[in-house]
Amino acid sequence: MRMPGDIIRLNVGGKLFVTSRTTIENAGSDSMLSAMIGENWRRDCSAASITNEFFIDRNPAYFSVLLDLLRTGELHMPAGMSEKALYREALYYGILDHVRSAKWGMLDGNMLQCTNTVRGHATGDATAIRGAQDGGCCVAHGPMVHVYDWSMEAQIALTLDYVNVNDAGFLNPERVVICTCERGDKTGGMALFNVKRGRLEHKYEVCHGGQYKNCTAGALAINDVSLFASCRGRSNEYGIGCWDQVTGKLTHFLYEGPSWPLGVACKLQWLPHSNMLMVAALYPHSDDSFISFLDMRSNNIAWSWTDAEKPAIGDEKVVMDAVAMDECSTVCVVNQFDNLGFIDTRSNNQGVRWRDHYQPGKISEAEEHSYSKLAVWGSQLFCSKNDSVYVFCTPDLDAARCVQTAKLKKSEGGDISDIAVGGERLFVLHNEENVFDVWETPGSFSTANCF
Amino acid sequence: MSLSKKKAFKIEPYKHRVELDPKYAERTWSILESAIHEIYNHNASGLSFEELYRNAYNMVLHKYGDKLYAGLVKTMTEHLKDMAKSIETTQGGLFLDELNRYWMEHNKCLQMIRDILMYMDRTYVTNFKKTPVHELGLNLWRDHVVRSPKIKSRLLETLLSFIHRERNGDMINRGLMRNIIKMLMDLGPSVYQEDFEKPFLEVAAGFYKMESQEFIECCDCGDYLKKAEKRLNEEIERVSHYLDSKTEIKITAVVEKEMISSHMNHLVEMENSGLVSMLAYDRYEDLGRMYNLFKRVSPGLALVRDVMTAHLRNMGKQLVTDPERLKDPLEYVRCLLNEKEKYDKIITTSFNNDKSFQNVLNSSFEYFINLNARSPEFISLFVDDKLRKSLKGVTEEDVESLLDKVMMLFRYLQEKDIFEKYYKQHLAKRLLSAKSVSEDAERSLILKLKTECGYQFTSKLESMFLDMKTSKDTMQGFNAMLSSSDICDSPSLSVQVLTTGSWPTQPGTNCNLPREILAICDKFKTYYLSTHTGRRLTWLTNMGTADLKADFGKGQRHELNVSTYQMCVLMLFNAADQMTYKEIELATDIPPVDLKRNLQSLACVKGKNVLQKDPMSREINEDDVFIFNENFSSKFFKVKISTVAAQKENEPEKQETRQKVEEDRKPQIEAAIVRIMKSRRILDHNNIVSEVTKQLQSRFLPSPVVIKKRIESLIEREFLERDTTDRKLYRYLA
Repeated sequence: MRMPGDIIRLNVGGKLFVTSRTTIENAGSDSMLSAMIGENWRRDCSAASITNEFFIDRNPAYFSVLLDLLRTGELHMPAGMSEKALYREALYYGILDHVRSAKWGMLDGNMLQCTNTVRGHATGDATAIRGAQDGGCCVAHGPMVHVYDWSMEAQIALTLDYVNVNDAGFLNPERVVICTCERGDKTGGMALFNVKRGRLEHKYEVCHGGQYKNCTAGALAINDVSLFASCRGRSNEYGIGCWDQVTGKLTHFLYEGPSWPLGVACKLQWLPHSNMLMVAALYPHSDDSFISFLDMRSNNIAWSWTDAEKPAIGDEKVVMDAVAMDECSTVCVVNQFDNLGFIDTRSNNQGVRWRDHYQPGKISEAEEHSYSKLAVWGSQLFCSKNDSVYVFCTPDLDAARCVQTAKLKKSEGGDISDIAVGGERLFVLHNEENVFDVWETPGSFSTANCF
Repeated sequence: MSLSKKKAFKIEPYKHRVELDPKYAERTWSILESAIHEIYNHNASGLSFEELYRNAYNMVLHKYGDKLYAGLVKTMTEHLKDMAKSIETTQGGLFLDELNRYWMEHNKCLQMIRDILMYMDRTYVTNFKKTPVHELGLNLWRDHVVRSPKIKSRLLETLLSFIHRERNGDMINRGLMRNIIKMLMDLGPSVYQEDFEKPFLEVAAGFYKMESQEFIECCDCGDYLKKAEKRLNEEIERVSHYLDSKTEIKITAVVEKEMISSHMNHLVEMENSGLVSMLAYDRYEDLGRMYNLFKRVSPGLALVRDVMTAHLRNMGKQLVTDPERLKDPLEYVRCLLNEKEKYDKIITTSFNNDKSFQNVLNSSFEYFINLNARSPEFISLFVDDKLRKSLKGVTEEDVESLLDKVMMLFRYLQEKDIFEKYYKQHLAKRLLSAKSVSEDAERSLILKLKTECGYQFTSKLESMFLDMKTSKDTMQGFNAMLSSSDICDSPSLSVQVLTTGSWPTQPGTNCNLPREILAICDKFKTYYLSTHTGRRLTWLTNMGTADLKADFGKGQRHELNVSTYQMCVLMLFNAADQMTYKEIELATDIPPVDLKRNLQSLACVKGKNVLQKDPMSREINEDDVFIFNENFSSKFFKVKISTVAAQKENEPEKQETRQKVEEDRKPQIEAAIVRIMKSRRILDHNNIVSEVTKQLQSRFLPSPVVIKKRIESLIEREFLERDTTDRKLYRYLA
């Protein structure tokens, strides 16, 4: 039997919507819509019992889209509707998460669509792109970091004393950490910024001999509780620092050994599966390549690989980027000829198994060449080459047997300078014109985007 | 948006940007503020949620989040302070009710306020790292109500006094208690722990300290344990009713410490009601309670175990060394079995079959059973008795269970080889005299011994059984042969052929058998040797028996059941009525010791004196004369004349058995040493001793001195040599 309270009449900006209580409750208990019809405000309901109508002073056009979302789980935007305004309305009703999860689903390298191409405002080439947990991203251009939220709305640009940025990363969607070179005690270094407010919130310091100091931060990695960075101090204190996310204090510092560089590492990656940190010191930051897995609890190197003592056989040399596929016990590398190789991490100092053997010297020197970049998401490997991104999938968690399953290419933007994965999205940063693409797998229900 | 401070510089007409009304923030806030007041005054029915939400939204949108948040803190604080005041002024017993009522109210209001300010929670609070509204409300309640100086101490006192009253048997409002405690837990674990749990545990400790003192002075152990158990259960129940479940471990620890740990020794040793008396009087329930309570505290069970061990050992020692008991081996073993059964029952019913207690029981039994060197003999005698007669008419299961019990005692024996020796003797007697009640029982016991000690231990026993069986077959064949060759007048002969070495027999001292017997014996010998070539038969005349038909003076006719020796003697009297000792000895060639014993049984036992001796003394002398007793009479037709012999061994015999055992052990020890050295090649003295002990444990416990002697003997015989550099090392010479 239907209770009278089960039918909800909503007057949104003069337009009457009639829906069921369960549809509204789909919005979740912490949404404005649920609270409005909730028990706490039942007296409100009885006051309006003659009409049994709730008035909401908002635009009915957007509400209609959002009500449909609550009814069906699908997001259908009529032509000409502003996406941004829709997000604003969703935020008002407290159902922004619904909109986001309706927009795109789990990242599947073989089902990617380029849903957005964002043109930056900054001049000059962008150097790096990083993804946030909620699907936002940030792009580093020289000293500036441009942050985009998940709806690709540009936030306040961040800078740490206008020193060139080495690396950046999201602590959470609202907080970005920027790593730069230090320029004296107060300038540069490593700091935490509030994205929404554009403000510096914390400066990370290292501690040597009981003294807190600024330091040059190279690469950055973040896990659930800590953040890690490769550091170079003023007095040759090279190594890997580890800071607590809550207190912002240095919890420990692993100094590098005599023949094993850590402080100049250009890539750090946290490996949640094996609970270790990958540290890669690569050309041109160091003459030879050194890749190691650090066990931060016992402060030692659990696995390592280097090409320092190996004879230079053409393409074996000069690893340009490395990424660990944690669950596959493999580190993937690319060399300067865009060749993809794999190193087994189950035993120390294995050789590299190269996938292809391109002849060196094919690349014309006149053209400015962007080296390949790597990104990994679960057992999916993304490798950029020239202006395309190649997707590799692997059977049986064996990375070396991976097969190329897709090629992603957009006609504009030129060569790719960096790629990143975050919040189930793939970000591709192009060399020219400061453009980046957002690739995502369509949500469980397809979105009708009509721009 | 620029704010009002720039107002002075504005040129109104041309400004295209629309400025917000400078009073906008104030006005919006005042709407929200009064709504919060209304909510707290239960007057929310007139409020429109949509309007309030929109206003709060607008304030955050227009960057007045700070103002909104600060205003919320201020307004809520005011209300909470008012609430605190009216709670403070509550009289007496209604304090908790009031606090609870206001808490419920605040919760409800907080829920509504959070609804209104939901947009602020989502945006402003996350961006500015503020405390979310709900948590803020709880924090403010904690700081301004629960921890306000007047309420804090009163709250604690009230809670504790409620609990105290409940401990004293009063009924209290548990629902109310639960609500208040729940409130403390909602305010965060630290509030619950600091403001309530800690003092609660302290007070409980004090309470139980006093109470346990009181109990211990006026109660016996059983009662005390009952009360302690009750208290413990009460506290556990209390936790389940209205405290945090994490408190259970803490409060039980307090009760355990005060009620049990501190009085543990006193309780166990309590005169007339402590552990020893509980054990003595089989107070299963009390013992079970003691076990369960003492299990909770760290040295508790160890203490119980220690006291039980001491008691067991003491009791056992008395039992096995009591000279009265030693007189009756059967009673002795029965006592052991009874004790074992008693403690087994205690452990199963009261001690939850605790392995550690079983171990203690076993080790104690092992300890005191071996205190008496005659235990193996007695156990064997017990078995002998059972298998001879007592097991008649008993069901198979009962037999099994009895044998199992005996095996358990056997397991405790260190000198298993002595048991074996006796068992063999007793078994031999049973088999030869066909006295065994049940062959199944015999076999079952041997099987048990075999599983316990291995094939070696029982191989000889088994071969005894085999001998018995083959003898039976042989006799059948022999008798068939006899009947076919129709020699009917000769005495019937029953022979048991025993394998040399398997039986505990003394080497047969031969005697002159009477002619009639000798003839048939020779017949058997030829028969046997014709079927089994390459064997040698020796007559063990000292072990046989004979049935004689004898006619006495008054026409009395009796069948005499006598030993072979006695038969030989009596047969002499077929030819003469009177003979001297010397003549008898000469004629029969029986060893003097045996002869004397047999003559004693023939002549000196009243009622069975088939012979008369002159002079009529007990002792047999060389020149005594024996006369056939014409006047012998007996009520029975069959008269059994047993050889005078002690059922138990006498002292020299015992020594002899002992010596034989020691002799038997020597080769076993040597074999063990050689086995070990063969595999290890070089080993030091201590290791050899420990390895040998380990290997032989299942049979007996060799003493290190004996092992040393064996090693020396092996060195003499060049099986081993001492290392030239390290004298402690031995080397195996292959």
